[in-house]
Amino acid sequence: MKTPPEDHDLIRWLDGEMNDAERAAFETRLNADSQLKAEAESMQKLGERLRSSLPKDRPMPHADFFNSQIQVRIAQMELDEERSSARASSASWTEWFRLPWLAAAAAVVVAMVAIVSRPDSRVAASDVTQVLSTYAPNPDVVVRGYEDADAHATVLMLDGLPDLPADQKIVGYDVHGSRADKAMASVTLLGSDGQPLVVLAKDSRDQPRVWDLTTRG
Amino acid sequence: MSRCIVSLFTAVVLAGAFGSVASAQPAPAPKSSSKAPATDGQVWGALIYATDDGSAVPDDGTTFPKELSDLEGRLGKVFDHKHFKILGQHTQDILREYESWVVPSRDLFLKVDSNGPAEGGGIHLHLQFWQGEQVLVKSDAVLRAGSPLFIGGPKWRDGQLVFVLALQAEH
Repeated sequence: MKTPPEDHDLIRWLDGEMNDAERAAFETRLNADSQLKAEAESMQKLGERLRSSLPKDRPMPHADFFNSQIQVRIAQMELDEERSSARASSASWTEWFRLPWLAAAAAVVVAMVAIVSRPDSRVAASDVTQVLSTYAPNPDVVVRGYEDADAHATVLMLDGLPDLPADQKIVGYDVHGSRADKAMASVTLLGSDGQPLVVLAKDSRDQPRVWDLTTRG
Repeated sequence: MSRCIVSLFTAVVLAGAFGSVASAQPAPAPKSSSKAPATDGQVWGALIYATDDGSAVPDDGTTFPKELSDLEGRLGKVFDHKHFKILGQHTQDILREYESWVVPSRDLFLKVDSNGPAEGGGIHLHLQFWQGEQVLVKSDAVLRAGSPLFIGGPKWRDGQLVFVLALQAEH
């Protein structure tokens, strides 16, 4: 039966944490104590077996989701900072409005701006779709996300995608709603008059499969 | 072995889907207790063929929605093509608790998960853009009404396929 200090020394010896003097003293004790020596050999073998069976580098599970969530969080923090600095600056401006003559002048300016500017002539930041993060599993695909002020749209451009074959027929639908079937883990997409057009379900690899009902026999 | 499992899975799903289609005629009255799933908004998604050849796709009378009547011009500012033809479109509620699918085409479609309303308007969404069995891009975005998202997809024939996702204004 080992005492706790011996156990601790054994672990430090196995982990290579002892200095020269400690190691020499422990190894003298190890050679004198057959039970301790057997314990040390057993633990050494166990460690070697574990090291050989476990890979040195393990990929992080769901790395893309992890990264996207970090990016979302960073974007949210940046937005919060912008808002708080905007609030701080607007608070300092309100101090000026306590002066009566300046308040009157400001009211005139605000009224003039309201008359001159058309409602759709400028796009406020809060009116625009924002892309917070992107991730393309295919390393050959480069994603460019940007706002196009002229088009009043946000663009995700996927560069590096292989071209579709020219003879491939692209099948389009006119879908006006869906009906989920939880029991079957599927979704039926419906046409304008409620007729089923497509069934979408996920396979065992969690990949979507689309069954076109309009082309059935 | 895996092919057998996929075939079996396909058969089960189709049997369920067709079974529900077949039984649609004598549809029982919905129970008063059943509630429609909560939604965070509604989107319009479309697969569009950007091309310079006006005769490449026959005109079937499909037009852009009223809210996006100027969409062709806006697409022209981003994609260097003269014509933009709708190949397929899908109007879909964004479910609050479940994933939603926007499938204007069998070939390119979108999975949408709502992360709730965004401050200042719009919806936080997690998007996955699929081409068949491959996800081309995953993205977190805040989608706002009047400001569509254009996804520039693969080149096809003499042009390019473009996916448009637009949040419908609340009525």
